[in-house]
Amino acid sequence: MGVLDVLFSGQLLFAALLTGALYAIVAVGLNMVYGTMRLLNVAHGDLVMIGAYGAYWFFTGFGLSPLAAAPVVAVGCALLGLVLYRLLFAQLLRTTGNPVQLEARSLLLFFGLSMVIQNIMATLETATPRAYQYLEVVYRVGGLAMTGNRLAALLVALAVCIAVALFLRFSVFGLALRGVIERPDAARIVGVNVERVHWVSVVLGFGVAGVAGVLVSMMEQFSPFIGFPFTIAAFIVIILAGLGNIAGGLIAGLLLGAIEVYGVALTSPNWRSVLLYGIFVFVLIVLPKGIFARRGRA
Amino acid sequence: MITTLKKTRRHFLSSVLAGCAWLAVGNAWAQEDPVRIGFAISKTGPFAAAAQEQIAVYELWKDEIKARGGLNVAGAKRPVEFVEYDNQSKLDQSTRLYEKLITDDKVDLLLAPWGTPFQIALAPVVEKYKFPVVGNTAASVAVRQVQPGYIWFPTSAIPDKMAGELVKMMQQNNVKSAAILSNVLPFTKELKNFLEPELKKAGIEVKYSTEYPPSIKDMTSIVTQIRDAQPDAVLALSYPSDSILYEKQAHEIGIKAPFQFIAVGPSTHAYRQAVGAAANGTVTMGHWSPKREEWPNAKKFNDAFVERYKHEPDYLNASLTYLSLEILEQAVAKAGLDKEKLREVISTETFSTINGNIKFDGVQNTITPVAFLQIQDGSLELVWPDSLATSSWKPKTQ
Repeated sequence: MGVLDVLFSGQLLFAALLTGALYAIVAVGLNMVYGTMRLLNVAHGDLVMIGAYGAYWFFTGFGLSPLAAAPVVAVGCALLGLVLYRLLFAQLLRTTGNPVQLEARSLLLFFGLSMVIQNIMATLETATPRAYQYLEVVYRVGGLAMTGNRLAALLVALAVCIAVALFLRFSVFGLALRGVIERPDAARIVGVNVERVHWVSVVLGFGVAGVAGVLVSMMEQFSPFIGFPFTIAAFIVIILAGLGNIAGGLIAGLLLGAIEVYGVALTSPNWRSVLLYGIFVFVLIVLPKGIFARRGRA
Repeated sequence: MITTLKKTRRHFLSSVLAGCAWLAVGNAWAQEDPVRIGFAISKTGPFAAAAQEQIAVYELWKDEIKARGGLNVAGAKRPVEFVEYDNQSKLDQSTRLYEKLITDDKVDLLLAPWGTPFQIALAPVVEKYKFPVVGNTAASVAVRQVQPGYIWFPTSAIPDKMAGELVKMMQQNNVKSAAILSNVLPFTKELKNFLEPELKKAGIEVKYSTEYPPSIKDMTSIVTQIRDAQPDAVLALSYPSDSILYEKQAHEIGIKAPFQFIAVGPSTHAYRQAVGAAANGTVTMGHWSPKREEWPNAKKFNDAFVERYKHEPDYLNASLTYLSLEILEQAVAKAGLDKEKLREVISTETFSTINGNIKFDGVQNTITPVAFLQIQDGSLELVWPDSLATSSWKPKTQ
């Protein structure tokens, strides 16, 4: 494709927006959990997987549309988050003071959790790939073609990311959360209930990951072992955006989607990983606090 | 005195009864001594999804053996017992586990792991321990480099032969130009390497060709360029997840090529469930169909699989797995569990399977021809070669 064809292609723009919005919604939850507690949740992609199966169960078992099932799946994942927080994370946070040690311990904890989640799902559902068809109708506007489920996934992902970003930007809880991310000790001194911020972050983060899974299930085949690439993508997005920067995460997700889609169109599909990880490494070296980090911010 | 006599008689009777009971139980135990069959397969990890049908067929076969009263071991029926491990989708783990199955668990028979690299990696192990194993889900020209002796590969879907047959089929259906998109993984890359010269030889113009990584998540730019090139045929040399990605995006963007071949995936139920009507007209690799009535037990196997798992078996991997078990079963019935006798029987005999007769020359099946399936109205039909066809090829319209 010529450069101009690429730049003015509505089809590529749609693909870039969709890819980016999915990256962004997957990253939102991880950003909240990692940002507020420094818990390296490498099981984050497995929550996306649980969300996908949740939608599948509602769709095949009760004929419930995935979009209608999304809130129920989100609540289910949020409850799972709450239970895990009470049983595991709170204990880990209480007993580990040093952030570096906390990251190392949480990495082990979540690695184990990831194994457990995958194997429970494999026992429940076998590893046979699952899929279903929903909103397969193709809408054509001029030269642009959009399958209904991909369009719906784009709109829902953008809406959820914007809603979470606005909530955290304008609510008192959002202020507290940002305080905990930036200066946890100072936030505690000024009266922020840090524990409450922690569990609400887990609940919100897990719930949004569940919704991301619902959207993925509408478009792709899934199995109990699909989670890891989502975890990696989410880590790239939050490192690009800067820790705890939810609005920045949305932009970083879209940027990553654009790099992937336009980069591949302008070079070769084999350059996909080089482009994605190249940007990742470049940002880590040149802008270690993320591309949206404010000057002077810790 | 009388009392003593009675006591002695009672004691004698009870001793005899106890002895009889012991003999009966002992005999029953001897009869019940199970044939231990071992395998290590990808139950977790990246290949777990692909290995599921193979595991499902192993389980189905085990229960069928049980229902038939046991495995016929040179005339004696014996129950079977699986000794199974998860290789976590790791090659080194797989070979270690097969060594353990042979030397530590001392199993009587082995079943194959899932996939070409795992079965090729198993070859030196079974060669070392002189332990025969019938392969199934392996397809590569590399299998011919395996030293013949203790492992056999029944599929005819080997890339070099398949490339030639696919091009013949394209020529027969007036294909003058093609676009190729290929996953860089070994099997599809191998297929591409054999296809390109065959296409050139046949005078089919390649209007577009690209490779992509397995991690691909969006094919918009590839599919848009294929649409703009307007080829008569699209050859998607892809694996299940990217096969679905291609088919869905081709449907969305509007690829009109009447001949569309998708290498791996469309033979599975999961693929047709994911893609739906958009999959109609897609051609894929596969040489089995339950509709071939002259293949003994083909329909019976299909029906049993559907009844148990509530979906159709993979026409490629599930049928290959089942026929590998049929070969093993027939060989054990003739040779028993002696490894050398088994090797001799498998190497020389002709076996009647759900895919027709199979006979090996070296490591390869010499009877089953290269064949192709097409999805027609949601069902799979053999469309190539004419000698096996259950339906004729139809241009893809969606």
